[in-house]
Amino acid sequence: MPRQKIVIDPVTRIEGHSKISIHLDEQGRVEEAYFHVTQFRGFEKFCEGRPFYEMPSLMARICGICPVSHLIASAKACDSILAVRIPENAARLRRSLNLAQIVQSHALSFFHLSSADFLLGMDSDPAKRNLLGVLEAHPEMARDGIRLRQFGQQVIEWLAGERIHPAWIVPGGVNEPLTAERRDRVLAALPEALAIAGRTLDWFKSSLEKFREEIRTFANFPTLFFGLVDPDGGLEHYDGQLRVLDSSGHIVQDGIAAEDYGAYIAELAHPWTYLKTSYYKPLGYPEGTYRVGPLARLNLIDKCGTPRAAQEWAEFRDLERGAVLSSFYYHYARLIEIVFALEKIQELLNAPEALDTNVRAYARANNSEGVGIAEAPRGTLIHHYKVDRDGLIVWANLIIATGHNNAAMNRGVLQVARHFVHGNRLEEGMLNRVEAVIRAFDPCLSCSTHADGSLVLRIELRDHSGNLVDQIGA
Amino acid sequence: MSRVLIIGYGNPLRGDDGFGWRTAERLRSTIDDPQVEVRALHQLTPELMEPLSRVDRAIFIDAAWPAPAACRTGSVFTHHLTPAALIAGSRTLYGHAAEATLLTTPGENFDFGESLSPGVERALDETIARVHAILRRP
Repeated sequence: MPRQKIVIDPVTRIEGHSKISIHLDEQGRVEEAYFHVTQFRGFEKFCEGRPFYEMPSLMARICGICPVSHLIASAKACDSILAVRIPENAARLRRSLNLAQIVQSHALSFFHLSSADFLLGMDSDPAKRNLLGVLEAHPEMARDGIRLRQFGQQVIEWLAGERIHPAWIVPGGVNEPLTAERRDRVLAALPEALAIAGRTLDWFKSSLEKFREEIRTFANFPTLFFGLVDPDGGLEHYDGQLRVLDSSGHIVQDGIAAEDYGAYIAELAHPWTYLKTSYYKPLGYPEGTYRVGPLARLNLIDKCGTPRAAQEWAEFRDLERGAVLSSFYYHYARLIEIVFALEKIQELLNAPEALDTNVRAYARANNSEGVGIAEAPRGTLIHHYKVDRDGLIVWANLIIATGHNNAAMNRGVLQVARHFVHGNRLEEGMLNRVEAVIRAFDPCLSCSTHADGSLVLRIELRDHSGNLVDQIGA
Repeated sequence: MSRVLIIGYGNPLRGDDGFGWRTAERLRSTIDDPQVEVRALHQLTPELMEPLSRVDRAIFIDAAWPAPAACRTGSVFTHHLTPAALIAGSRTLYGHAAEATLLTTPGENFDFGESLSPGVERALDETIARVHAILRRP
């Protein structure tokens, strides 16, 4: 049997466009598998020459799913260029907004994109294995998903004025304080959202037994984990310092300040994808492969920080003696983070200081360089800018959650393909599992395809016979 | 007076794809009626099923190429849906479906750009007139 290639194109129920190719050897066994991101954006390049204070609004346009996280990481990089410490309440409000973003994005991933696999089955009819199928078979779950995502979006609108690209977050803080009326609306809506999150988590935990094979094979291998933790080792999405953990649960590096990320994280480009790959520099590639996002965050921390989420986190960590390694558990971690986010918003906005009107610091550019780091729903987000004497951007680099996870996603695709795909008996449910491992990471591809200095885009000029006569690029 | 939700959708940065979005923006500035809500959106998401269940009539406005996709419900990117899927979902989940109208115009250019083709620009005025005619219906 000749060597063959199976191509899944497009990969469905994820944010963005990609394909997977699976290469089979002469015996029909999976030899190699690749996750290709097929679109290219160039935000780092076209922001050059723009004033730094435009960056939050401009960079947020990278993505319509988690613009808030880009706004926050970008504004934090600009805070650093201003050399200001923003008012305490500005940080509180930014933090609340980021948590609302995590609720809506995690709800989208769990309910709209992945719940069909859990509710209808990995092997169910692909024509119905989608949100519309869930809606027919499990309307109560579909309603919960819609309600929870609505809640997250509504809180973003109440706090920041717009659902998708709010201009509320600015360098130095936020541009207006929170009113009592808007705070009360958020607080009044929270109990229903918490009830939905709680019952969904209970249901998912009771369903895990059905997915033993997926748990065993979905990107279930040792890697490092990377992300923010708060100064006490608690769950953190807005500030704090970076931590690196190994698969046995030991801290490899702790207390990394945002501006030092470059000493620990490096990036490389593969010729078969526009998605950059990040790795832990001291170990090199591929040994320095790490994961970010909900699974990583729950592995990294020493404690969780809010009552129900803390209980759930303790139960989650009991799954394994060291770090929880199966990427199928990203879904589980996502639900715990929703509970945490809701409880934390409640705590943050119940404090009387939430209505403090001192929410913005003013300054001119005082530093020529700034780094801003926040935890986006999918993982650690790094914005790094350099400016000239007039405050115009001369260089920018973005490292996005999906890039951090790229090496692990590719290994995960190979692991699942080797387990489920056999060339002589190809079934749709097997291919769905290859897609589902990618879905577990919840990649967002729109914001993760950037140049890392050398453009990976290649243009070939071929004559009528197909002969290459010229080329540009890598 | 019945309750109406008008949804114009598309990407205003992709030429004629912005037709629905721009029409909704124009309608929003000209309709002053508490019974009528106008939304300009980039795409149709599942969250719209709930507000659609609370109105009597819905009007969707979109540019189409090469033909309207009104009757297709499936999508591989399940958070981007068709009007038909939203209406069906609204009935399934909330027990009520609005009487819906889809107004489309064939687009000519879907490349990067913020302007509409001349023919689509003319259709915008006609679509606004049609929306007002629908609103006048008892």
